[in-house]
Amino acid sequence: MAFRPKRALAVFWKDFLDLRKNVGLLLSMGVLPLVFILVPIGVVWTYVQRPEDPNLRVIAHYYDKSLPLGANAALFLIERTLTDWFGMFLVMPVFVPILISSQSVAGEKERRTLEPLLASPVTAAELVAGKSLASLVPAVGISWLAFILFCIGIDVVAWPLVKGPLMPNALWTFGIFILAPLFAFFGNGVAVLISARVSEARTAQQLSALVVLPLVGLVGGQVAGWLTAGMGYYAIQGAVVLLLDGVLLVASIRLLDRERLISRWG
Amino acid sequence: MNGIQVQGLAKRFGGRAAVEGLTFDVRPGEVFGLLGPNGAGKTTTVRMLTGLLQPSEGEAIVWGHSVRTHGEELRRTVGLLTEQPGLYDRLTARENLRFFMKLHELDEAAAWPRVRTYLERFGLAGRADEPCGSFSKGMRQKLAIVRTLVHDPKVIFLDEPTSGLDPESARTVRDAVEELATEGRTIVLCSHNLGEVERLCSRVAIIQGRLLALAPLGELRRAGLALDIRVEGDAERFLPALAALPFAPNVLREGGRLKVMLTDDAQAPDVLACLVTAGARVHSAVPAHRPLEEVYLELIRQGRG
Repeated sequence: MAFRPKRALAVFWKDFLDLRKNVGLLLSMGVLPLVFILVPIGVVWTYVQRPEDPNLRVIAHYYDKSLPLGANAALFLIERTLTDWFGMFLVMPVFVPILISSQSVAGEKERRTLEPLLASPVTAAELVAGKSLASLVPAVGISWLAFILFCIGIDVVAWPLVKGPLMPNALWTFGIFILAPLFAFFGNGVAVLISARVSEARTAQQLSALVVLPLVGLVGGQVAGWLTAGMGYYAIQGAVVLLLDGVLLVASIRLLDRERLISRWG
Repeated sequence: MNGIQVQGLAKRFGGRAAVEGLTFDVRPGEVFGLLGPNGAGKTTTVRMLTGLLQPSEGEAIVWGHSVRTHGEELRRTVGLLTEQPGLYDRLTARENLRFFMKLHELDEAAAWPRVRTYLERFGLAGRADEPCGSFSKGMRQKLAIVRTLVHDPKVIFLDEPTSGLDPESARTVRDAVEELATEGRTIVLCSHNLGEVERLCSRVAIIQGRLLALAPLGELRRAGLALDIRVEGDAERFLPALAALPFAPNVLREGGRLKVMLTDDAQAPDVLACLVTAGARVHSAVPAHRPLEEVYLELIRQGRG
């Protein structure tokens, strides 16, 4: 069966239109970026307010025993915060597609729209492509918008100490343009896969959301000082996620097979 | 080849057989009734014929497309009205229809006038830009019917098309079904509303996991003779006498009328003699068609037995 982009775009058009009219879902999608922007800005602002606080040196020393005595501990901690927080920021492109895809796939079953949809000529691959696009475009868009606001916020609050722009730096630029889409694809793939196996959007969301736990765990490891994040560290994460994306794509297309969906849920 | 040709169609889910050995044809321009109790395999059959499920055995050709090998072409050709309307509530009626036009890769500008005609016919044209979530049950059903026709299908499967509709709307839908058949389309109607089946269908298949009967409606109703007898006074008092006959016929009573179901023409004189002996003054006795409901229930009972 040939892949017809027009049909995939039709699915994207419908899901995107539906999303735009789903106020509750839009609000849920908006809350997460706000938290991911405001929390680090608040932390950086605290460091900037008291750069000479001796406790900052103690904390900085905990992370880096070799920190020279003359080094600016506040600046060190700001840079460390920005590096570690990037791991947390990656939760956003994972989580937003989970919110959307759970609604769009399991929601079709709940609303009993699945059978008319599957009775049309659309193929499983077109369905996966259209639905994925409808969740990836908002997820990546929100991540990029949040990144712009994050950069502005950080630079504004850090300016008195740094006397120049801190953001965007190389790690964040690489991460937001390369890793964020890969992570978004991962979140979407997990949600599609789980949505194809459960009957309710809420259950799909709850189960899919569990995949962010390893990410949060890694950030916890960084904050605890057990893991040191950097470009290489995030690049390895990206490679692993890319591999998982491929597996999820194949599995999603198989699971969105008509026979399987109709036998189970029709 | 146009129409539908079904040969030995079967579907099993694991070890459980949903339907077995179905063989029938439906001609272009025919409204064909697919009847059976809940769980008889009607929906499974329709799903196989619309390319949603692959048969476990057998083959069906729908308007020239094999259900086994030409799923995509098949789905371009058929229209399916599911039991639930299955509309996107946040989208307007127009957006719902446009979505299906896009899925069928139609030129929307060219297809819209025809779709608009159906919207007008079903009284929905003025509500096209309102979200479907605000529609009544009947409006949702009518919109689902329009969606089924969006791509001008040659074969149309209708599952309970008048469910939830008021009598006037139900009449509009029935008229539309008849008109679609007149245009040469093949229509398969699944319904528990036997009156509607009697009005619309030329032939019916009664299934219960397998084919119990396949015949023109008139033939099916004549399959067993019925006698319509008018007696003086309340006919109820003669029921015990009729029940005592050796062949114990089924009897429907309406005031002074008795509809006695027979299995053989030769039983008619015995029925009349029995009534006269019981003191009935018989005003008239005419052969009558058995109601489809009676035939249907009898076949289902036999199928279970």
